Amino acid sequence: MLKINNLHASVEDKTIIKGLDLEVKPGEVHAIMGPNGAGKSTLGYVLSGREGYEVSEGTVDFNGADLLDMEVEERAQAGLFLAFQYPVEIPGVSNMEFMKESVNAIRQQRDLDPLTAAEFLKKAKEACKQVQLPLEFLKRGVNEGFSGGEKKRNEIMQMILLEPTLAILDESDSGLDVDALQVVADGVNSQRDGKRSFIVVTHYQRLLDYIKPDFVHILADGKIVKSGDASLAHEVEKSGYSFLGKKYEEAEA
Amino acid sequence: MSQWLTQVIANASATPDFLAPVRQQALSTLQQNGWPGRRSESWRFTPLTSVEQREVKLATDIAIQQASDIAGLEAYELVFVDGKLTTDCSALSLPEGVTIAPFDKLSQDQQQQAAEVFGQIKPQHHVFGLVNDVASEQGLFIDVADGVALDKTIRIANLITQDVDAHTRVAVRLGEGASAKVLEQAEGNVASMSTAFAEYAIGHNAHLEHYRFALMTGQAKQIGGSHFGLGNGSTLNSTVVGFGSELSRLDMDIIHRGEHADAKMNAVYLLAEGELFDLHTNIEHSTPNCTTEENARGIIGDNARAVFNGRIHIHRDAQKTLAELNNRNLLLSRRGLINSKPELEIYADDVKCAHGCTVAEIDDEALYYLLSRGITRSKALVILNFGFIQELVNQIPNASIREWLLPLLSDRFSRMEVK
Repeated sequence: MLKINNLHASVEDKTIIKGLDLEVKPGEVHAIMGPNGAGKSTLGYVLSGREGYEVSEGTVDFNGADLLDMEVEERAQAGLFLAFQYPVEIPGVSNMEFMKESVNAIRQQRDLDPLTAAEFLKKAKEACKQVQLPLEFLKRGVNEGFSGGEKKRNEIMQMILLEPTLAILDESDSGLDVDALQVVADGVNSQRDGKRSFIVVTHYQRLLDYIKPDFVHILADGKIVKSGDASLAHEVEKSGYSFLGKKYEEAEA
Repeated sequence: MSQWLTQVIANASATPDFLAPVRQQALSTLQQNGWPGRRSESWRFTPLTSVEQREVKLATDIAIQQASDIAGLEAYELVFVDGKLTTDCSALSLPEGVTIAPFDKLSQDQQQQAAEVFGQIKPQHHVFGLVNDVASEQGLFIDVADGVALDKTIRIANLITQDVDAHTRVAVRLGEGASAKVLEQAEGNVASMSTAFAEYAIGHNAHLEHYRFALMTGQAKQIGGSHFGLGNGSTLNSTVVGFGSELSRLDMDIIHRGEHADAKMNAVYLLAEGELFDLHTNIEHSTPNCTTEENARGIIGDNARAVFNGRIHIHRDAQKTLAELNNRNLLLSRRGLINSKPELEIYADDVKCAHGCTVAEIDDEALYYLLSRGITRSKALVILNFGFIQELVNQIPNASIREWLLPLLSDRFSRMEVK
């Protein structure tokens, strides 16, 4: 599915990712944890192809294709999805119109006919219900005036509609109460079918009680410094990132 | 003096109707002021050279035309074709207390009422407003009596189909507590020169829902304006839509005459390649406790030119005024041009007045978000640009008008190129 090899990436000439290796196989859920500033969000942006994130070294293979050679929209059309930590507000563009355009752009890539307005509406309503957003959120401007939790649910709704093969969730748990966390996790779990893969980026172990990862990786200073199974997340929860050394202990304090 | 203006004056001076005193006054002001010089501030970015030496052409044959259909809109349809009113107003079935009649069919009482509106709200300095005062033989008087709520929209279409000079006028009086919806709409693309002015005297606690759609394109030159006088506690909700043409200019004046009046105006302009649209708005706060909210947004295509001049004048006695003016522009190419000028004149000390003006290109973060969902770059640019004006269109109170307008705007936009 995804194979990252010795990835180095920088933003505004500052190197953030410094030799990262990661392999995600179909159906797997990988959690990436780590202290602030470790490069967790950067990894998501680099994989999605955000402008300004320069890759200086390394390769990323996505289902046999060179991911780094693709445009942002091509990556999405190829089945990559990034749930943003801070989704942008776009007043004037209705959520519904936005999602219909994206669903149909991706369907076109898969040689499927575009959905009619009625077909899309039916799907969108179901997805809306699944993430427990009132239907009026479809009519509102994209993320316009949504609370933090509503924005996160809106991201999960998009993921459900776009049916990506690999979804990267960038701190989809931050700022959520327990109920909202459950909704987000249920949304993700409903998409687990043994073929789709997930990279769950999180600062806290909490989300991983709801989304059970197959692997947990600790990202620090641009590299994966430790990998293990779900128990590693509990270890972090109990004793923090102290094993990374003094520098991170202070940062977390 | 311009050849065109000289001819207009020569043709018009023989209109001896009940409006003669105002027309005469306008004529002498015109003669005194003459043609605006090239340095005239109000025409600084909108050159009048193409009008200046124009040969006046009077229409002889008029073909009956209908304005484009707005599905679902319940309306009294009034149509001017090439400057002549082609609707038989006497055939309209109007509810009690409502008058819609041409200037030459008014009773003496109605003439009296019309004379209280005609030339009494529109500022006296606008050269084409004065031309219209002098030359608008064809005009409509609309009166909605005290307390009458008129549900149907009054749609006044100005259609230009041939190379003519056309001058049309509308005078509207809303009585105390009355309410009405008026849509003024201009269409045409052939070489021509028209002026269309409307004045609205809005009574105490009356409400006007207003639309001014300047949809002339191509070589059609039109200069016009809508001017509102607001009484105590009255409300105005106005939506302006402008397309560009060889020369398209609109002046909107909102004059707060009574206290606690509330005005809201949204304007959207969408200029395709090489077109010009000039919007001048002027808000006069002469009385205390009134509010104005004005939003103007434009998209300017390749080589097109937009002019926005937004003036707010808060007089010394207009304490507790709340006024907001915002103008935002998107340039689709480096060859597009917007001259945007907010003008605030504030002489009262206890007021809140805010203004903002921006000229922008596309928001990179929003673009990235759309791309990251698989939407192609060109489609994403269309969605983002259009969203910018759709936000205002969505605020149009009448659903039929909104639903008619949106595809019209998006069609126009989709033909414009993002460079």
